[in-house]
Amino acid sequence: MTKKITALNTLAIGVAAGLTLSYGSTVSAGEIEWSGFVENATYFRDKKGLSKFRNTAQAEFTKPIESDGWSNVSINGVLRGSYDGVYDLNSSEFGKDAQQQYLGESWHGQDASTAALSAGTPFPCDNDPTLCNNLDGYMDQDENDAKFAEFNDRLDFIREFYFTADKQLANGDVFNFSFGKQQVVWGKTDLFRVLDVINPVDYSRHNIYDELEDIRIPQWMFTAEWRMGPNDVLDDSNFQLIWNIDKFRPHNMGTCGQSYVMVDAGCFFSARLNGPNFPVIRDVDDHDWSLKNTQFGAKWEGVYGDTTFSLNALHYRQQLPSIHANANPAQGLFDIKFPRVTLLGGSLDYYSMDMDAVWRMELAYTQGEEQPRDLNGNAETDMFRYVIGFDKNLVIPSLGTSSAFLISTQLFGEHILDHEADMPMDEDNWIATALFKGWYKNNRLSPQVILAHDFAAKATAIAPSVSWTPDNHWMFNAALNVKVGGDETFPWAPTGGVNGGGQTEPLARFLNGPIGVANQEDELQFTVRYSF
Amino acid sequence: MKKTVVSLMIAGALAAPAYAATLDDVENSFYPYKNGAKQFSNLTPGMVINQGNVESVKDALDPAMYKFIKNGDYEIRVGETTSFDLHNSYVDATRKNLNTTSLGDTPGEIQGFVAGRPFPEEPSLDDPRAGEKMAFNFKYGYNWGDTGAVYPFYWKFRDMASGKEERMLKFNFHFLNYKHRVKQEPMPDIEPNPSNLFRGIYVQVLEPFDVKNTQLLIHRYEDDLKRDNAYLYLGFQRRVRRLSSGQTTDAFLGSDLMIEDFEGYNGRISDMKWTYKGTREMLMPYYNHNDEPLDPDTHKDKEGYQVVSFTGKGNCFPNVSWQVRKVYEVESAPVDPNHPLSKRVHFMDAQTFAIPRTNAYDRKGELWKIFTIGQSHPDHHLAANKGSGVSIDDAFSMVDLQANHCTTGQFKGQLDPKLSPEQKFSVQNLRSSGR
Repeated sequence: MTKKITALNTLAIGVAAGLTLSYGSTVSAGEIEWSGFVENATYFRDKKGLSKFRNTAQAEFTKPIESDGWSNVSINGVLRGSYDGVYDLNSSEFGKDAQQQYLGESWHGQDASTAALSAGTPFPCDNDPTLCNNLDGYMDQDENDAKFAEFNDRLDFIREFYFTADKQLANGDVFNFSFGKQQVVWGKTDLFRVLDVINPVDYSRHNIYDELEDIRIPQWMFTAEWRMGPNDVLDDSNFQLIWNIDKFRPHNMGTCGQSYVMVDAGCFFSARLNGPNFPVIRDVDDHDWSLKNTQFGAKWEGVYGDTTFSLNALHYRQQLPSIHANANPAQGLFDIKFPRVTLLGGSLDYYSMDMDAVWRMELAYTQGEEQPRDLNGNAETDMFRYVIGFDKNLVIPSLGTSSAFLISTQLFGEHILDHEADMPMDEDNWIATALFKGWYKNNRLSPQVILAHDFAAKATAIAPSVSWTPDNHWMFNAALNVKVGGDETFPWAPTGGVNGGGQTEPLARFLNGPIGVANQEDELQFTVRYSF
Repeated sequence: MKKTVVSLMIAGALAAPAYAATLDDVENSFYPYKNGAKQFSNLTPGMVINQGNVESVKDALDPAMYKFIKNGDYEIRVGETTSFDLHNSYVDATRKNLNTTSLGDTPGEIQGFVAGRPFPEEPSLDDPRAGEKMAFNFKYGYNWGDTGAVYPFYWKFRDMASGKEERMLKFNFHFLNYKHRVKQEPMPDIEPNPSNLFRGIYVQVLEPFDVKNTQLLIHRYEDDLKRDNAYLYLGFQRRVRRLSSGQTTDAFLGSDLMIEDFEGYNGRISDMKWTYKGTREMLMPYYNHNDEPLDPDTHKDKEGYQVVSFTGKGNCFPNVSWQVRKVYEVESAPVDPNHPLSKRVHFMDAQTFAIPRTNAYDRKGELWKIFTIGQSHPDHHLAANKGSGVSIDDAFSMVDLQANHCTTGQFKGQLDPKLSPEQKFSVQNLRSSGR
């Protein structure tokens, strides 16, 4: 499989290079432009000590190419390499030797009396060949893979590498196509995603808190756009087709033993049933590359007066794992699958002159998703997700700056249409977020506060930070990331079923969500960056 | 019946221009130096105004510039007055559409405007709306022509006391008139234009890395009473955010400029109460770019173009020559009582209707910010700009007197329409350019 992945990458790079060399008869290359940064991120976690010592180098380039027949032709790339020293500097807490006392240690006190599962095995591929084999293709990285996150079979050090070109059409419209490893962003939301689902996300980097640009996992994709511009009704309109030809990749939720293990799933999947010692996971359906396994979508967007809108459709795979109960539990209780999903959605934003504020809305209806449940692991259900956002820029002279503060709030909703009583997730749940960001000293000093509250988990994340940019090169950031609540504990019942109300360990971690399950992960965070 | 007739007559009188401009007015408006410029007895081309002699030429300076020179912060080199003839197409449009434009009942409303300078007649102190007419002459001025670009544009944040350059932003700025076009096809309007946009401004940040690929798109409506639509693309978010555009007093990207300060005034006419204060002759930063001492370090390109250099206290002042110009002094006082300014005093150049000098006063009435935009003659700038008939914005300085801080701007103004196609002013362009 590894060979196949590498071969695909090599083929894709070759196609990208070939397109660059052969698309036009008269081409000449402009000068290549480079920029980038080196960065150290050092985080300390309450009661754990050092939780991140990541050193990153990132370089970005654009190489414009002039052509007679095409315009805005360029090759673009982003290269990134990092080394996280936490596994060497705090190996008792993180890494292959960092055995947890019990499953769920990261979010609640010990309840070993009824625990049905063992603690997760950190980095199973360093410690347990059976688990490693069962998890092959997903959460199968070893400690070295986590230390050097970009250096792997998927060539993640090439974060982006794509070719793009415009063709002016006779009627004034523009046709654009691009091919390569890239991020394609839909939607208008921060922190949580409704339509921005084309690229999977690496949550092992810093849970949900890093900029999505840094944690989206770029994919090899073709995109084609027909930019129609204004017409008699719309001020702008554009139609986009996407074909994701990459081998399917799910979200990286973090392998047990890493600093950030989203909803503790990695440790759950590397646990064993107490007593018979059955592994939790028997196999991962990791969907080898084939044409029918590729993903595709379309978007039409436009501007109508004070309103911008989009209509979106995407046929893809669920990026969160779905667990399927196994008839032969001795080899493992569950298999992990990533079912096919069809998404239909849209977005809209509207500038209200009276309020001098912007309202944003996104909707997504999906078919084919699977939600966890206690009785047999999963159930297919249609899902409805939505977000309403409100943004306002406001100058507040009493706070001592003439720069406007950004006030941005969002309310995410999720509705499970075919909800079952033994599902850990509530039929309806909401997450609210708020951002308050200001600028002082000619925008070189910027304090901000991010709040996120998960209603079902009764958990809140509070993340104040301040960044100082003394000149064009240096940036210093100091931040706190504190969680409140989310500490409800649940009885153990691997098959709790209806009697458990769905809200039983181990699946209750999905109810407790990314904020609640990380409620022991309060951190003090420092980042230094030198950019060029 | 009689009452109705009287009412109609009154309404007709109100709707018609209070003064019917003549072709001589147009001639005087566009060519004020055809018979030479006013001479000051103690002001001669080639002299340098400094601490030692500033008192003798005080009448030729605005209060802020007088103070700077008196303090020794800046010295002004005096050049000969030269005519900055705007393009014939704009002058012809003014002639053709003479007396077709009138103000509406509400400040900010204008009726019948087609193209050219809407109010070419001399302003009168007896006309209570003369200031508003000057503001419309500026808004519909030939500014960057039908399209223009500052490509690139360097902004430097400077500590005025130490002269330390804190930060430099490198941009591209693009301007496009959707309506009232006089030189470039299509004329007079770009169609389709379903929202009736007047102008687009597109800004792209090239450097430094932390704000690279930030893009701003402003759509200004023909209807002055409607707020701009603004879109912001943040490179690290890779998506277009709609902006609440009412906060035009926001310090733009941390500079000493509000968005409202761009080009001298960048807001709705209706947001201000405009008052014409008089006509005077004074020194203004009008010069030939190629004849000035330039900065060889900030910008380098194959053409050998160099940007204007800066001098004086903290390197906050453009190192250019100034010439005696005919100027309209116009005050704008914000309608919004929460606006951080109590007023701006604009010194509008009578020939070009650019606003090369503005002094802004805080809520207490104290002088706060001093804005200077250097204007180069197009025939002594880039070879490609020759004959464009555009008074080229070429350098700016915004001094925050109270913070002892300044932001300076160094331009490569280019009037090549290929740099600013209509597609650049679309929301989709933000996405496609920002990746």
